[in-house]
Amino acid sequence: MSVMTQGGAGGNVEHSRGGGSSGLADVVALILDKGIVIDVFARVSLVGIEILTVDVRVVIASVDTYLKFAEAANRLDLYADGVKPKGLTDVVQDVTQAPAQGIAKGKTKGALEGAVEQIEDMVGGRREQEPEAAQRRQTEQ
Amino acid sequence: MSSPADTARYVYGLVSADTVLPDGLTGLGPSGQVWKMTCENVAAIVGDVPDDRRLGRRRHLMAHEAVVEAVAAESTILPMRFGAVITEEGVMTELLAPQHEYFAGVLEELDGRTQYTLKGHYDLEAVLPGIIQNDEGMRALHERIRGLSEEAAHFDRIQLGELIAQALKARRQQDAQDIVDALGPHVAVRKVYEPEQDGDVVNAAFLVERARQREFEDAVDEVAGRFPMLRLKLHGPLAPYDFVSAR
Repeated sequence: MSVMTQGGAGGNVEHSRGGGSSGLADVVALILDKGIVIDVFARVSLVGIEILTVDVRVVIASVDTYLKFAEAANRLDLYADGVKPKGLTDVVQDVTQAPAQGIAKGKTKGALEGAVEQIEDMVGGRREQEPEAAQRRQTEQ
Repeated sequence: MSSPADTARYVYGLVSADTVLPDGLTGLGPSGQVWKMTCENVAAIVGDVPDDRRLGRRRHLMAHEAVVEAVAAESTILPMRFGAVITEEGVMTELLAPQHEYFAGVLEELDGRTQYTLKGHYDLEAVLPGIIQNDEGMRALHERIRGLSEEAAHFDRIQLGELIAQALKARRQQDAQDIVDALGPHVAVRKVYEPEQDGDVVNAAFLVERARQREFEDAVDEVAGRFPMLRLKLHGPLAPYDFVSAR
């Protein structure tokens, strides 16, 4: 859950708390990139569990970004002497949301989630075919 | 039942031995349980591990973070990076026993403090008019592109976008500096990173005294008010991910 601040400050800060309320992108940026590391791979071979290294770095090609900037600029009417052409309000809303959330957040988040999905596919691809694994687990414990 | 020598444990983080874990923690393992393993004055928060070769799913990431943040809400925790698996025996003999003094030292340093992460990017609608109008080259390109189709103006658009990116980059250094400086009096330690993408302004982590959280959050709101052309995102309070060394 994210909460926009009300009143004061112009409302241009989005506050989000830690814990279960974080989005996946925020979580990934923290726990895959930061924190104390132990020599995972030595341990992994000991216990026979595969852990994937997940290097989720999202690089948006510069040209792509440039075109987005140009598009945002193109939608601005800098020469209208205050007379807004019809429909500009809609366009401007679009602009605010497109770069703000589309590029910086939505797209990144989308890419991250995509990456995680991919990992899930790689790691958990056979999930549906192995219900016996869960049973085995219960018996062992 | 496996012996301690080859039972795998997932490690969420490290706390001082006297830390009381909050109720209702749900781990990522099949049992969902989370408990402490203590060595001298330091304890590892551990749980069982999915035993079906599937560690790395979205719910595992979320569970790791939820456990760490639930503990961090009330106590000081050194968060482990995701994926720390070690044998039960190894938790004691390899993780805690050789390093408990170091961990205790870091825990003491971070005691009573919590982390916030601040990121921000320019609101293009707010910032672009000024940037373009003040630059003859950009103004000319902008005007030319307006009369052309997207295809015909392709290279002009790239050029304009690149100029905008450069202008934003030139501007952000000062803005980022001003923001971080303005928050300086309210934080104990800060770490400033290079922004990740064109259009981003600030990417910084702050260690804040718990007693001053409210004051810090108010300061962020106040700074935000002075930079209406920015969209800021404040994430926290968080475990001090940016202030534990990645050993």
